[in-house]
Amino acid sequence: MDLFLALELIALALSGLLIWHSASTRGAAFTCMFFIGGAFLGLVRENVVAQVAALNLYSYSPSAFHLWVGAAPLILMVFWSYTIYLALTFSEVIVGGNLISGKRRVWVILIAMVFMASYACLNEAFASIYPMVLWKFKPALTVWGGTPAMVLWGYAGLALIFLMALLLAYKLRIRTIYRVMIFCASVIVMIPLHLLWIAIFRLATSVIN
Amino acid sequence: MNTRDKRPNFFIREIPLIVLLVFWVIYAGIEVIRDRFDILASIIPSGLFILAYVIVRLTSKEHKGRD
Repeated sequence: MDLFLALELIALALSGLLIWHSASTRGAAFTCMFFIGGAFLGLVRENVVAQVAALNLYSYSPSAFHLWVGAAPLILMVFWSYTIYLALTFSEVIVGGNLISGKRRVWVILIAMVFMASYACLNEAFASIYPMVLWKFKPALTVWGGTPAMVLWGYAGLALIFLMALLLAYKLRIRTIYRVMIFCASVIVMIPLHLLWIAIFRLATSVIN
Repeated sequence: MNTRDKRPNFFIREIPLIVLLVFWVIYAGIEVIRDRFDILASIIPSGLFILAYVIVRLTSKEHKGRD
């Protein structure tokens, strides 16, 4: 079996473990919202970024990925969910807080953002080997393997936006199915917010340079 | 039944750590094989989080209580 296909399947399997963890420790409502919403966000966002040329960001390498949904690799269906879930869980354990109950919520979100930037270092260094991502612009500031520095900022920002939207939807006093639907629908707000977040960094670094 | 009523066992509780360790080892391993290993990107940032997580788990009251 091709190494990269094996990695995609391993990532899907590990995401299954995280869904099991979430269902066991956080309950069915949270798990449905988090992972269905995350899948929706991943597929829609990455298709938008890859297919809207005006954004001038990146697309995915056809030679690296095997399983696709439109212009986005299938793995993006779970990538943002498992990354943000790891960030949230590690952050809650480290600061002794809880996003939903509100215990040290600000710290939970801030440390989750730092975790995401740290995970971006790991993931993007790995991604640059193949490369998984084809950048459409010349970044003002790069880190490992020519990866734009905005990627670290982008990972952190997506955690902030995703967790805030999740919290707002989770707190609604309506049936779980409607909360899941509202959270999925909020992707149309999350994506422009995140693109704006990235644009701010690109603008700032281009001005500095 | 509310699944949160029962305290999950050690394996379930530590799934996030296991998952991150698996990714950590696979990514770093492939980077070493491809001669593209970068300790500053691949090991240190996420490694600090793993270290902090393990320290908190080992020093938490509930862990001491079980011992």
